[in-house]
Amino acid sequence: MIKEFNVLITGVGGQGVILMSELLGEAAVKDRLKVRGSEILGMAVRGGSVTSAIRLGEDVYGPLIPTSKCSALVGMEPSEALRNITCLSKSSLVILNTAVTVPFTVPLGQSSYPSLEEILEKLNKAAERVIQLDATKLAQEAGSLLTTNVVMLGALFGTERLPIKVATIKETVEERFPAKLAPVNTKAFDLGYETCRQALK
Amino acid sequence: MKELTITSDAPGKRLFVLGNEAIARGAIEAGVQVAAAYPGTPSSEITETLSSVAKELGIYVEWSTNEKVAFEVALAASICGVRAMASMKHVGVNVAHDPLMTANYIGAKGGFVLLSADDPWAWSSQNEQDNRYIALQAYMPILEPSSVQEAKDMMADAFKLSEQFRQLFMLRSVTRIGHARSDLVLGEISREKRQGKFVKNRDWLVYTPREARINKPLMLERFDAIKKAADSLPYNQLKPARGAKLGIIGCGLCYSYSIEALKWLGIEDKVSMLKIGTPHPLPEQLVIELLKSVKEVLITEEIDPFVELHVKAIAGEHNIPVKIHGKDLLPRVGELSTRTVTEALIKLTGAKSPVDFAKLDKLAEETAPLLPWRPPALCPGCSHRASFYAIKTASKKVARDIGKDVEAIYPGDIGCYALGYNPPLEAVDTTICMGGSFGIANGLSHVVNAPIVAHLGDSTFFHAGIPPLINAVYNKANITMVVLDNSATAMTGFQPHPGTGHTAMGDETVQLKPEDIARACGVKFVEVVDPFDLKAAAKTIEAAIRFDGPAVVVSRRLCTMIAQREKRKRKEPIIPYFVDQDKCSGKCNACIELLGCPAIIKEDGKTVIDQALCTGCGICAQVCPYKAIIEVSQ
Repeated sequence: MIKEFNVLITGVGGQGVILMSELLGEAAVKDRLKVRGSEILGMAVRGGSVTSAIRLGEDVYGPLIPTSKCSALVGMEPSEALRNITCLSKSSLVILNTAVTVPFTVPLGQSSYPSLEEILEKLNKAAERVIQLDATKLAQEAGSLLTTNVVMLGALFGTERLPIKVATIKETVEERFPAKLAPVNTKAFDLGYETCRQALK
Repeated sequence: MKELTITSDAPGKRLFVLGNEAIARGAIEAGVQVAAAYPGTPSSEITETLSSVAKELGIYVEWSTNEKVAFEVALAASICGVRAMASMKHVGVNVAHDPLMTANYIGAKGGFVLLSADDPWAWSSQNEQDNRYIALQAYMPILEPSSVQEAKDMMADAFKLSEQFRQLFMLRSVTRIGHARSDLVLGEISREKRQGKFVKNRDWLVYTPREARINKPLMLERFDAIKKAADSLPYNQLKPARGAKLGIIGCGLCYSYSIEALKWLGIEDKVSMLKIGTPHPLPEQLVIELLKSVKEVLITEEIDPFVELHVKAIAGEHNIPVKIHGKDLLPRVGELSTRTVTEALIKLTGAKSPVDFAKLDKLAEETAPLLPWRPPALCPGCSHRASFYAIKTASKKVARDIGKDVEAIYPGDIGCYALGYNPPLEAVDTTICMGGSFGIANGLSHVVNAPIVAHLGDSTFFHAGIPPLINAVYNKANITMVVLDNSATAMTGFQPHPGTGHTAMGDETVQLKPEDIARACGVKFVEVVDPFDLKAAAKTIEAAIRFDGPAVVVSRRLCTMIAQREKRKRKEPIIPYFVDQDKCSGKCNACIELLGCPAIIKEDGKTVIDQALCTGCGICAQVCPYKAIIEVSQ
């Protein structure tokens, strides 16, 4: 039995962060794992920072991932991954979508957005490894921008560290959406999965 | 196999749920027959879940006009012997406080549960009050869950306990229970259906001084019986560790953080643990047993030192020489976490830290300046943005006429539109409570000489906006009251309200209009505007401000989230706008600096509109001095 595996998904309102954690949680229950998790939407209707934690294993009690105990950080947006850097340790993996979403405060001149190099340098220093992919582009390749989160889910499973079976998560994704979307989602998942496998080779 | 859902009568089966769904499930298992609520984060999903299955299960569910009414609806059901619940966020309980303080003089006939959703760190609230104090004041026993599973189990039990002890119970949830996710083992669903029966009984139900004096002693007796039973309730458990010098009293969710902290430090065999599921009344014998067995105790609880206060009193009363820690080592503001409890335990035991927390704090400090500020924003196409622009344009004009140093004042309220305080709109000067905008505006009008333009949303208007509106008429407050009517309780998830024309259970009903109510209340200036016509809206608001006496403007435009959803359903295209780069100066930035719409961005020094975000509301085209913003179809 797995003791503790913590996934933190970070992103921006509207990117499907919560949906991803729901899919992970449902799949985990199917695989008879103990699941805990929690999300923060803040006051965000749309556009604010969103994080969602999914914790798996027998030693997991609280809904939040303790500082430095994240096993895999899924960054749907680079600066939002950086915002959660203290959840990482040298045994954490980061799966990072390199597509940037600039908040409205930047054109207003109230804040600035860091360079991708800066973000990667910081994350690389904190984590065991950072796996980068342009999930937004891969989602387009799969046939719909809306599958960006499914691409990232595929990449997360491509690490081959999760205690959930690949078949279970794929089945959960399939059940969640109308049947006609299944081919697009499968393609998106596989593209993410393969990109991650290649990166880890 | 039939798909497992929140209403499946499948004891022992496991489901992945949100905490608030688990709470709803607990009520379903108990056979709740009446559920009333007013939406508020983090409580709304409880009633949403119940309303979605109400007809299937034969439960009466309503979104009440406000929490006081919700409480009274549930109380009436209880008086008639039917199991009932009222759910609300912590500050909602303030609104229900009046009936709440007399309700336990009556006590429960049908089981009654008040669900109070507290919000440590005020993630989506105006304060982080600890509602255990309200329960204390009302002689209301509290159940406080340590996990989502326990929240469901406690909810199912609470109705039975309430009937057994004939007292109203509170279930205190927090954000990390209601908005936590977990696997959940289902229990059996009660199929009992009761017919409500009202028994006339003056001594019991008519509260004049005489009945208060009759019933208070009875309430105290009932509460004493619960106090005696607290030690044997399964939610309170003492797990002593042999030879332990330190004990933890873990309250509600903080029990979970405490267990994780002990495991992280590897000292779970060396510390005694008292898990508390009933912070009020405390299981006194278990507390005494723990206090006598150790030298020091750490109490872990969220928000105020509520249990700490009572444990210190017990130690004092029984002369137990034990050092009691709590808020001296743990934060009084915000949520607790495995980390904060771990750090407190390191201080008390000298255990080796599993992580270099100082190094991580330094990392966070170094990283902070790199991060862009990403506050939540009004959506692209939000009608409130247009309303605020119109309000400010009109108010500034009138203020200038009064005097050159005069600034208009914008009392605001609770809802999405609170986001209007962000730059560049900066159209919110106060946010205190539901309906507070109109109330504060009343007071301001008697002490300052400036245009006072208060605003609140449609749901908030029905909730708490009408009494201060009547007050303005009666007491001649010269104020402008704008109802930002987007026909939705948008911030909490689009729940229906008296202005939407349908009920929680999906039935059609009358549709009340704020303008009709304002006229009926005697307001002499009442106008309705479309905020997307900026010029006309500003002109009407200006007339309202110049009007001598209270004035009401209803600024009506459907919430963009709903409007887009409906358009997609009808397969209607959403036509965005774009910036004609030949006409745009690129430097004036009026669209960005006046509106702050997330869809207008800068790319390589050029002002552009994000075609994926733009909803085609067109207000930026109205403010552009170069007429450079054009609808895509043109």
